[in-house]
Amino acid sequence: MTMIDTTSYTLISEAIKTEAKRILTDGTVTAVVGYAAARRKGSVQPIVITTPEDADKLLFSKGAVNNLAVYLTKAKKEIPKTGRIGIVVKGCDLKALVGLMGESQLKRENLYLIGIPCSGVLGSIIQPDTELTEDTIAPKCLECDVHMPTGCDFIPQGAPITPELEKKYAAEIARLEALTPAERWSYWKEQFSKCIKCYACRQVCPFCFCEQCLCDRNKPQMVESTPRPAGNFAWHVIRAMHLAGRCAGCAECERVCPMDIPLNLLNRKMAKELKELYDHEAGLEINEKGPLSMFNEKDDQSFIK
Amino acid sequence: MHPEKQKHDFEPKIIAFVCTWCTYAGADLAGTSRMQYPSNVRVLKFPCTGRIDPVFILKAFQQGADGVLVSGCHPGDCHYIAGNFHARRRFATFRKLLEFVGVDLQRLQFSWVSAAEGGKWVEMVTDLTERVRGMGPMVEFKELAMEEQWSGAINTEELKEAYEAI
Repeated sequence: MTMIDTTSYTLISEAIKTEAKRILTDGTVTAVVGYAAARRKGSVQPIVITTPEDADKLLFSKGAVNNLAVYLTKAKKEIPKTGRIGIVVKGCDLKALVGLMGESQLKRENLYLIGIPCSGVLGSIIQPDTELTEDTIAPKCLECDVHMPTGCDFIPQGAPITPELEKKYAAEIARLEALTPAERWSYWKEQFSKCIKCYACRQVCPFCFCEQCLCDRNKPQMVESTPRPAGNFAWHVIRAMHLAGRCAGCAECERVCPMDIPLNLLNRKMAKELKELYDHEAGLEINEKGPLSMFNEKDDQSFIK
Repeated sequence: MHPEKQKHDFEPKIIAFVCTWCTYAGADLAGTSRMQYPSNVRVLKFPCTGRIDPVFILKAFQQGADGVLVSGCHPGDCHYIAGNFHARRRFATFRKLLEFVGVDLQRLQFSWVSAAEGGKWVEMVTDLTERVRGMGPMVEFKELAMEEQWSGAINTEELKEAYEAI
C-alpha cells in the first residue's frame, strides 16, 4: 500500500497562519475563510476569521476536505460581502472559484487567494485520524492535475509529492461504458433508488447557487420532489446535466452523500464527454462562457438527421 | 378514398418537440399537402429549439412517451439567429448522459426540418414510429414510476431477524 507523504502540511499550516495574520492586520482583507481544528483528533472544519488574533486557529491537514468556495456563492450568506476576502484553496477548490468568476459570481480583485501545494486529502472524514494512503485518499486526488495551484496571491513553500496511482473514476467509467444499456440502467436505478432527497449534494455544490432550483418548482413540476425512484432518477440526471461543463471536480457532492451514491462518476463522465466533444476542461483560466453557453458552427451534428 | 388503416398490436406514443418557425411550419405543409403520416405523434410547439430544455425530454419519457422527436431549423436558418446552435451542443451532451444512465438512444431522434420540407417531416415521423413500434413500449421509465422507495415488503427475513433481536 502506497503511503502519501503529508509532512509538508505542518509547514504549510504555519505559513497560512503568518500570512492570515499579516493580511488581517494590514487590512488587505476583512475576513479569511480557512480550515480550523474540529473536536475530534485530526478532524478539520471550515472557519471564517475576521481578527488577526484568530489567525492562529487556521491550519491545513489531510482532513481539510471541504471546498471553501461554496461559502462565497450567493446561496450562502454567512460571509460579509464587503471588502476583500481571503480564502484558503486547494487546486480543486481554485478551479471552482475560477468557474464562479467565469460565471460573474465573484470578482478576482475581491479575493485574496492562499493556494495550497496539496498532496491530497482524505476521501472520508468518518475516521479523520487515519493515515493518508492509496486507499484512504479521496478518489479525486488520484486524478488531480492541480496539486500546485497557480495564479494565487500567496502560496506557502512546499512541493506536493504525488505518487502515480490507479485512476479510480476513469476505471469505473470505462467499466460502465462497456456494459449494455440495460445493465447500465439497472446499475443506476439501484444507485439512485438509495437517494433520500436530502439535497446535500446541491447544498455543498459551489455551482448550485440558483435562487430557486428548477427541482423545487411545482408550477410546472419538472421533477417529482418525493424520494421515489422516478423522482430520484430525474433529479440526478438533471443535476448532472446542469453541472455539465461547469463542474470543477471537487467531488464534494459524493463526499457528503449520506447514501454513498457515486455522484462524481456522472460529473466525471460529463467532463470526459465535453472534453471529447468541445475540448473543454475545467481549469485555472477564467472563461466567460462555458462549453454549453457558446457554440461553433462546425460542431458535430452526426446524431441529427 | 383513404387506404385501409393497418391494425397494430402496439401503438407507440411519440412526442415531438418542434420549433414554431421551421418544423411546425413543415408539419403544417405536410398537412396542407395532404400527406399521410402516423397519428402516433403529438406535436408540441416551442418558439425555438433553444427553448427545449433537456428536462422536457426526460419528462416526456417519464410521462409515458415511447419515443421523442426533437426538431427545428437547419443550422444557419434559426429565426433567433443562434438558438439551434446552442440547442445542438446541449442535446449532444444530453444524449451522452442518457446513454450513460442506460436509456436506449434509438428512441430519441433529433432532426432539422425546414418549413419547406413537409416530406422530410413525414419521413422522420414514420421512421421513428416504425422503429419504436419494433422496439415495443418504453418500460424502463414506467416501471420506475410504479416503484416505491423501499420494497414495501414487511415480512422479509432480514426484518424478521431484526424484530426478533429487539
